[in-house]
Amino acid sequence: MANETELIEQLKQGDETAFKTIVEQWKDMVYNTILGIVQNETEAEDLAQDVFIKVFEKISTFKGDSKFSTWLYRIATTTALDHLRSKKRKKRFGFLQSLGGSGDEKETVPDFHHPGVTLDNKERAAVLFKAIDSLPENQKTAYTLHKLEGLSYRDVSEVLNTTVSAVESLMSRANQNLRKQLEEYYNKHYK
Amino acid sequence: MQSLDGAKRAEANPFLFTRIRARMDKKSNNGWERAFSFLSKPAIAVAIVVLVMAVNGWALWGGPDTSDNLTSDNVNVSELANEYNVVASVDNYDYENLTNE
Repeated sequence: MANETELIEQLKQGDETAFKTIVEQWKDMVYNTILGIVQNETEAEDLAQDVFIKVFEKISTFKGDSKFSTWLYRIATTTALDHLRSKKRKKRFGFLQSLGGSGDEKETVPDFHHPGVTLDNKERAAVLFKAIDSLPENQKTAYTLHKLEGLSYRDVSEVLNTTVSAVESLMSRANQNLRKQLEEYYNKHYK
Repeated sequence: MQSLDGAKRAEANPFLFTRIRARMDKKSNNGWERAFSFLSKPAIAVAIVVLVMAVNGWALWGGPDTSDNLTSDNVNVSELANEYNVVASVDNYDYENLTNE
């Protein structure tokens, strides 16, 4: 089996087999990252396809300054966040439209159940995911990469193109925000 | 807070590559769609509008003054016609005038 550098060189030549190997090797990593951010399996699959199409089209711009996986994580997180932004824009536009209409269409977001979470943690994880969804973009990305993908702070800092201390700060603020939201949730529902 | 600890990585669709390939083939077959999506990019669309407005503005106010050239061209044509005794053809206006008489 060809190593990473060879695969990338072959992909730069437009080699179909190299592309297939890359997709097979990194598809779970890309899908899991996107799924953690968008929290919707159908959307995550479409976006994972987008990511690999971008990889195929933009591989010539990959200079090898960072690890290939770092580059891939960057494309995956950017694609997922762009998707969320466009969804938010559409939602805002829909809201403005509903002001002119009857105004009684209320969208309910179903709980997200990550397929990798163990059964006994399922309900608590769904509540946590709802809280993660309301985090600012950079905190959400850092938290997802660290918690769901298991990346170290150093790896997260490379993906986000920032320093390790900045990631530490992001994670600390993310934890504070999550704790606050979970406290509010459990106070509201269980007290 | 610890409910994600030990969570396994979610697995992508086993047919992901086939779907990617199908999408890429569809994309490369539809040239018009690609052209349209390129032209509908905000930066490209704005650039085209600005270019069209600039060309219009140039044509209206900044273009070369062609009135002198036209006059000299007309003089040259009349000189040539006189030289070869070419009679100007009757145009619609003249024809109407002739029939009214």
